This record gives sequence, structure tokens and C-alpha cells, in this order.
Amino acid sequence: MTTSLARRKFLIASAAGTALIGAPAFIRNASAAKDFKIGMFYAIAGPAANLFGPTQKACAELAVEQINARGGILGRRVQLLFANGDAAVADATKSAVRMLLEDKVDFFLGSHNSAVREALVATIKARVPYVYTPIYEGGECSPNTYVIADTPRQQMETVLPWLHKKAGYKSVYLIGNDYVWPQVTNKYAKGIFKKLGVSVLGEEYVPLGAPNKFEEAVTRIKGAGPGLVLITLVGGDNVNFNRTFAGFGLDKNILRVSSLLEENTLLGIGAESSNGLYGCMSYYSSVDTPAHRAFKTAYRKKYGDKAPILGLIGVDTYAGVKFVEAVVTKAKANAAAKVKSAANGITFASATGTMTMRNRHVDKDMYLAECKGTEFQIVETFSNVKSGQTCA
Amino acid sequence: MDPLLVTQALNVLYEVVTLAVIVLGLAIVFGLLGVMNLAHGEFIALGAYVAYVCQSHGLPYLAAVPAAIAACALLALPVERFLIRPLYDRPFDTLLATWGLSLFMRKAIEIGFGGGYKSLKIPVSDSVLVLGTPFPAYRLLLMALCAALIAALLLWYRRSVAGARVKAMVGNRELAQAVGIRTDRLARDTFVVGLCFAGLAGVMVAPLVSVQPYMGLDYVLRSFFVLVVGGLGSPLGLLSGAAAIGGVESAMSALVDRTAGYSTVLLIAIFFLWRRPHGIFGRS
Repeated sequence: MTTSLARRKFLIASAAGTALIGAPAFIRNASAAKDFKIGMFYAIAGPAANLFGPTQKACAELAVEQINARGGILGRRVQLLFANGDAAVADATKSAVRMLLEDKVDFFLGSHNSAVREALVATIKARVPYVYTPIYEGGECSPNTYVIADTPRQQMETVLPWLHKKAGYKSVYLIGNDYVWPQVTNKYAKGIFKKLGVSVLGEEYVPLGAPNKFEEAVTRIKGAGPGLVLITLVGGDNVNFNRTFAGFGLDKNILRVSSLLEENTLLGIGAESSNGLYGCMSYYSSVDTPAHRAFKTAYRKKYGDKAPILGLIGVDTYAGVKFVEAVVTKAKANAAAKVKSAANGITFASATGTMTMRNRHVDKDMYLAECKGTEFQIVETFSNVKSGQTCA
Repeated sequence: MDPLLVTQALNVLYEVVTLAVIVLGLAIVFGLLGVMNLAHGEFIALGAYVAYVCQSHGLPYLAAVPAAIAACALLALPVERFLIRPLYDRPFDTLLATWGLSLFMRKAIEIGFGGGYKSLKIPVSDSVLVLGTPFPAYRLLLMALCAALIAALLLWYRRSVAGARVKAMVGNRELAQAVGIRTDRLARDTFVVGLCFAGLAGVMVAPLVSVQPYMGLDYVLRSFFVLVVGGLGSPLGLLSGAAAIGGVESAMSALVDRTAGYSTVLLIAIFFLWRRPHGIFGRS
């Protein structure tokens, strides 16, 4: 009797013990399954890392914090997993495979160049939805892929006719880095110039990622004497070109439009060299809307005085995460077909207001800015500009 | 004369002379001491950041010159003592050591100043008429300063006793020691002077370029190209290398475009490595 009782006690005890030992693992698994994981590619290490990386991360984490404070996505806590998007294509692909198979992410978010995007699309193979956030050349219609980016139509169809009406330039010179985004943007712009009757006096490209100097190009532009220069240079090249341009005094009578002119770049160009320089993008840190004031307050509160400087490429990850929240909440799942039908026409928060997705691209408000010193002064707002992309 | 031709000719000249000054520090450190200093570009960046700090504190631009020399010397002394001195006569190891130093310096600058661009006001912003064509005054001034600096150094190296000692040390270290030259001190001073010249070059070009933590990378590769083509250990080599690399690149960029400029420079560098590994004026 005593032995059987003892044996029963032992069985109960060991069963309870097993349950206790098992419990933490079980709970861990359950909570891990509950987390909504977003695999995020951004500029951790590479040429764009010191310019954009900190802001990309800070804005995405701010969005996640806000979503989790309201209870997450479909009741699941949102968790960001990071990989380097400023890496070689092969390395980014490896990170994507790891996130797919080991981490089992629910959504991909990418802020990186088009070469990496194409590789990620080919790796993910539409198994998980993927949202691409930074300004780009357009044309991405792969299945289960969504784009937040400014497109050439949104940038060019706004600023070029506006400036033509205001300043009446009759000729233009194009200079950019030698890769897909400047070339597609220029192709689009040349269509507009044709309609406006503006003649293209020259078009040149300099290698991307090389320590370019621009004395010779600026002298060529001086010889050509255009009314406008359309600049599709990025980063340090954009800085050096504009400083050389103004150094040779061309800023006095030639207008400039730069396609990727964000806050960091303008700081590099400097107040002395920014006279007659325009840009048109969906974000400038000087945009004054109620939503943007609230965004900036929250951003300062979270990061304090050492907050990374706000700029288009950084803040678009905020809109990207908010898009993930909106579309998955509406679709009640992350399955491809459901997300696709939920995405069309969906409105979600951005840093400055709201954006609306149509045809897997975003119609958005565009801001035309004129540089005043190292500040962007918004001189015109274009509401709800169509992306010009028509993905089925 | 065609005003554009004048400007392009000045551009070529500007490129050659500034490139010579940018390479000067490396020519001293690599050419005389055999130290393959991959952190050369970071000392240029250090000079540029010192100039930025001086300017943002409202000091006159010339104040950056002694400040940058002091900053570079202060850093160069311990670097020479603890990193380079054990590695003289082991060029490949100096390459690895200074590569590490360059990574460290880039990250230190990033921590101190952030990753973004800094812009410096151009100290002299007017234009000057050259043969009837306006050319930015600061660039002209820079060309004159660079030319003067190189000429002064050349003269000093050829005429002074210290220059003779350096030549003796480079020629035969043991023999130099035997006649009473303290080669360890001399090597230290040469190293420090070389890095101070790099910092000085940084001060000079800072108002014209984008100042950011990674700017040194823009200079180090071209500097080595210049020395490959010109040859080590001779001032004429430095000048001819700068003329070949900077001049050809600038001229090709003016005539065709930047891509043509780069490819020509690469072809020239490959040709010299292949057919004339000691360069135009190098010691064989």
C-alpha cells in the first residue's frame, strides 16, 4: 500500500516536474510564435551606412514602439530583425535565406539599392510579403512585393513643369551617377522636357562609388550654358558637384534640381553653395503638418538630442512599418492573396501624414523645396501625386 | 584664346599640383622609410576635421595650419613608437598595421563627429580673371601654395644637412649609424613630418570637398598610383607621377568623361607595374 502510494506520488511528482521543466521552453516557443517578425534590411555597414543607417533604424524602431504600445499586430508583439542591406548581393541573399528558414519572418522590409532588391525578390520568391521603402526608378511589380518609394514620375512631373512656369528655362544639362536610377529618371525627365520644348544640351554620367571630381564637368556645363541642370548624383558626388558648381560661380545664373537632395547632403553642400538649388521629394524635415509635428516630438522624445538626422530615406522605413501594420491588420493574415487585396487602396501613416497604396505603389503628397542656406524651404505642395506605376 | 580651354587647362594644372601635395606625405613615409601607410588618407581627413573644428569656432582659416600639424604630430609620435618602429624593413606588416590604424581612425572620427557631411566655408570666395576667364580665387591660391610647398621641400631635401642625413639613412642605415647618425630618431622625425604633410594637405583641400569620416579612402589609392608611376624616393618621381596620374585623368575627363579618365589611369598604373616597376624616376 505504502509502496504503491509512494509510487503514485513519485509518478505525480515526476509528471509535475517534467511539466515544470518543459514549461519554460513551451512558453518560450509560444511567445516566439506570437511575435510578429519583420526582417529588415538597411544600411548597417557600407557606403550608405554612415549617412542613412542610423535614421533608417531609428524610424523603424519608433514605428514598432508605437504599434506595440497599442497591442502589436493582430495581438502579436512586433519584433524587428536586422540584416545589412548595404552589402554585396550574395551576402544580402544569405541573410534573407536565414530569415526565411530559421527566423521565419512574417514580413520583409527593405531600404537598400535596386540590385539588392532584385536579389531579395528572387530569394524570397513571394513566400513572404516584402515592402521596399527608398526612392527608386520604378518598375518593381514582382508578386507579393510592395513599394513605398518616390518614383521618377512623382519627382519630375512636379518640379520640372513648376520651375519651367516660374523661371522659363529653355535648355537643360543632365548629370548623374552611372547606374539604373539616374538613367531611368533622366529618361522620364527627357519626356517632360520634350513636351515643354526644352532642349537637352548634354547628358553625362560619372562612375558610382569612385572619388569623382567635377571641375571638368562644371567647365563643360559652363560652356554649354543651360538654364537648368538636373542632378541625379548621390551622396558625396552630389556634395562635391554642387560645391564645385558654386565655386566656379555657375549658381549665379543656372538653376539646379537635385533628385536625391536630403538633409545630410545639403549640410555637406553648405549654405554658400546652395543658391538656386531645388528638390522635390515626399519628405523634408522642414515640412509643417500636424502629423509631422507629432512625429518629430515622438522622435525627439525617444532619441533625445543625439537623434540621427531626419531625411527621406530614413523616415520611409517608418511608413514601411506602418504599412505592414495596416495591411496585415486589414488582411488578418500575411498570406499573399489576402495581403494583395487588402493593400490596394489602403491608407497608412507616414512621418508627415498619410499615404495611400494603389497598384502596389504609393500615391503621395510631394513637396517642392528651395534651398535657403542649409534649410529646405517648402515652396509648393502637390497633393496625392500618382506614382505612375501600374502593377497588376 | 578659347575661355573654356583656359579653364580646362587650369583644371588640369590644379589637379596635378594638388595631387602632388596630397601624395607628398606618403612619398616621404613610403618613399624614404618603406612604410606602406594605408592610414595616409585618414591623416588627410584628420587635417580636414581640424580645419572644420577651427572654422566652426570662428578662428581664421590659417589657424588650422598649426592646429592640424600639432594634431597629426601628437598622433604620429605614439603611432611611430609603438606601431611602426618594430616593423621597419617589413613593408607588408606595416601595410597591415596601418590598415588597422586607418579603420580605427575612421571609426574614431565617426564617433566624434557623426557620419554625416561637414561643409567648410571657402576662405577666399572670389574669382580672378586668368587670360580673360574667371577662375575661383581659392583654387588659384591653393595651386600657388602647393607649388611653393613642394619647391621648399625639394630645396630643403637637396641642400640641408638634415636632408643629407635622411639620404644617408635611406641609402644605408648601418653605414649612417656608423658615422654617428641616430637613425631611429631620424626615422621618427621623418615619419612625423610625413604625416604632418598629410594633415596639411587635408587643411588645404577641406573647403573644396565633402568632409566625412570616410574621405581618406578617396585619396589613398590614387596616392599609391602616383608613387607606382613616379617611383619611390625621388622628388622628381613624385612630380612626374602626379602629372601622369592627375594630369591624364583630368585631361581625359575634360576631353571625354570621368569613366575614360579612370580607365586611362588604371591602364597607366598597370603598364608601370608590368614594364617599369620602379617607376619613371625610382631607385632600382
